[in-house]
Amino acid sequence: MASREIVRYRSPLRTALQGLSILFLIFFFVWTVLPLLIMVVSSFKDLLDAFQLPEVGDFGGVGVMFDFKPTGAHYVELFTEKHFGVYLRNSLIASLGSAAVSVSLGSMAAYALSRAEFRGKRDLLFWIISTRMAPVVAVMVPLYVIFRSSGLVGTLPGLILAYTTFNLPFAIWILKGFFDNVPYAIEEAAQCDGCTRWQAFRLIIPLVAPGIGAFIVLCVLFGWNDFLFASIIGSGGAKTLPVATAELVQPVKIQWGMIMAAGVVTTVPMMFLGLLIRRYLVAGLTMGAVRE
Amino acid sequence: MATVTISDVWKYYGKTMAVKELNLEIKNNEFMCILGPSGCGKSSTLRMLAGLEFISSGDIYFDDVRVNDLPPRDRDIAMVFENYALYPHKTVYENMANPLKLRRTPKDEIERRVRRAAEILEIDPLLGRKPVELSGGQKQRTAIGRAIVREPKVFLFDEPIAHLDAKLRSHMRGELKHLQRDLETTTVYVTHDQLEGMSMADRIAVMHEGVLQQLGTPEEIYNRPSNEFVAGFVGEPPMNFLDCTLEQSNVGLTVVHSGFRLALSDQQASLLTAGSAEANVRIGIRPDNLAIEPGADGTLEVPGEIFVTEPLGGDMIVEVTVGGDRVMVKTKIGPMGGPGDPCRIGFDVDKLHVFDINTGVAYF
Repeated sequence: MASREIVRYRSPLRTALQGLSILFLIFFFVWTVLPLLIMVVSSFKDLLDAFQLPEVGDFGGVGVMFDFKPTGAHYVELFTEKHFGVYLRNSLIASLGSAAVSVSLGSMAAYALSRAEFRGKRDLLFWIISTRMAPVVAVMVPLYVIFRSSGLVGTLPGLILAYTTFNLPFAIWILKGFFDNVPYAIEEAAQCDGCTRWQAFRLIIPLVAPGIGAFIVLCVLFGWNDFLFASIIGSGGAKTLPVATAELVQPVKIQWGMIMAAGVVTTVPMMFLGLLIRRYLVAGLTMGAVRE
Repeated sequence: MATVTISDVWKYYGKTMAVKELNLEIKNNEFMCILGPSGCGKSSTLRMLAGLEFISSGDIYFDDVRVNDLPPRDRDIAMVFENYALYPHKTVYENMANPLKLRRTPKDEIERRVRRAAEILEIDPLLGRKPVELSGGQKQRTAIGRAIVREPKVFLFDEPIAHLDAKLRSHMRGELKHLQRDLETTTVYVTHDQLEGMSMADRIAVMHEGVLQQLGTPEEIYNRPSNEFVAGFVGEPPMNFLDCTLEQSNVGLTVVHSGFRLALSDQQASLLTAGSAEANVRIGIRPDNLAIEPGADGTLEVPGEIFVTEPLGGDMIVEVTVGGDRVMVKTKIGPMGGPGDPCRIGFDVDKLHVFDINTGVAYF
């Protein structure tokens, strides 16, 4: 558990590499943050300002990009005319719902796979992860047929089910690793204290909280960012943010301002989720439970 | 407050046998120690008592109730684990309160009992801490505290002090024994450390390879071991074993070794005859029952050569080569000479043990 001190010895190569890594970080920062910045800034510009761009190579002219009168019109339009409130809600329900289902089923399955020893366990584990191996596109058509005949197309439960299909194997694998790290002796002690197996299982759930936290993030992100399922299975009654955003690209007029605003609306909740869940991600809760 | 009866219990893990036909009765309020090397089946036995392992065959009774099919929570036991198994996300107080909370004890009663247990164990200043902030000894006390907050029928201890350092361990031996006398609760204590068994238990059950070797008080186990394994396992430094032959002469029975001859008493001789001992036997003698003096011309009967001396402060252990074999002698510390120097040793023949060379069973 203890992290080790890494001993560094000064050498010319090391200095050169340090310089390189700083250069890389600058490049990486520009590469990742600049698009976000442009998105946020553009969402507050009207169409005319949005296309005020400096000449190629004219670095002094960057200022014109920030010389505009901010307007909230795009956001207002999104939520009034385009009903983005509904889509935001759909997105939240679909991704959080799938995370909730996956986490409750996944943790129980992971617990069983972690604690019980039975014939074919390795095969079962492999089979579970193998269901994730097929690309989404490949299973889309049969899945659509099944969903349509079950009346699940265009409904939120349908979308939740579709995401869960892909999240659950993932949940089982991640959480199994976390359960493996919780000593069984803790549950035995709980049973001697007077717990049932189920109470003992619930008692150790806080010890796998970092795993559950990490998994919830991944699971919500999968549902939140998904386009393919949402556009095919969710189309109509269960339209989510990415699909709604894509529909802003109309043949006659591409609504750049609103697309940028929709981008911001889509990004912000996930950033908050990250902040919220961060403290659960700190591992090491089991430290000191038993003698190692 | 219960009598524990283990009746014809077997334990298998797959095809491996862990416990063989174990019969053991633990009296009410008795401190029973199950002693044996690792893998002897002692932990399996304890876990079967706790209900953490299935009993392959046989029955376990608490008083008159057959508990084979009762889960741990319905057996009214409290167990202390080798690795403490505290709840890492709960404070010391919450750890100790857990068994009471599960039994729906009123809040003020929980508070009272936890505080009292904490005072007995001298961990009351630590109640607000989490296990990660505790030292090994404090964790172990918390684990014991979790067991003693309620009044279970049986205490089960699975090597609870094996991981403490030597000084704390010797302190805790006294504490645990005192606690058990105080609480008057039937206790089963599993350990591989013969010193713990000898110093704490009312009776000791020595196990080896799944088989109960001997059951008796510490005094019986030490002075009248039933076989070579028990004799060799109990006692520190361990008993010396020497292969000898028996010789019948007109003065009586004599034990003959390449380095010495020992005349046996009439009583010892009759025990050997009664057991129809063969000519080849193995004798055992504890290092304490050997005397030693330095130099080649002392009064003791057997000449030897010092192999090494190990001073222990007040005492010393001298390893002596006698007729091709090596024996350990425990004596008061004093000038002894170095490796290769001559010495003489004497046997306290009354304290001699004789074992069958094939089966290891003791004649006396």
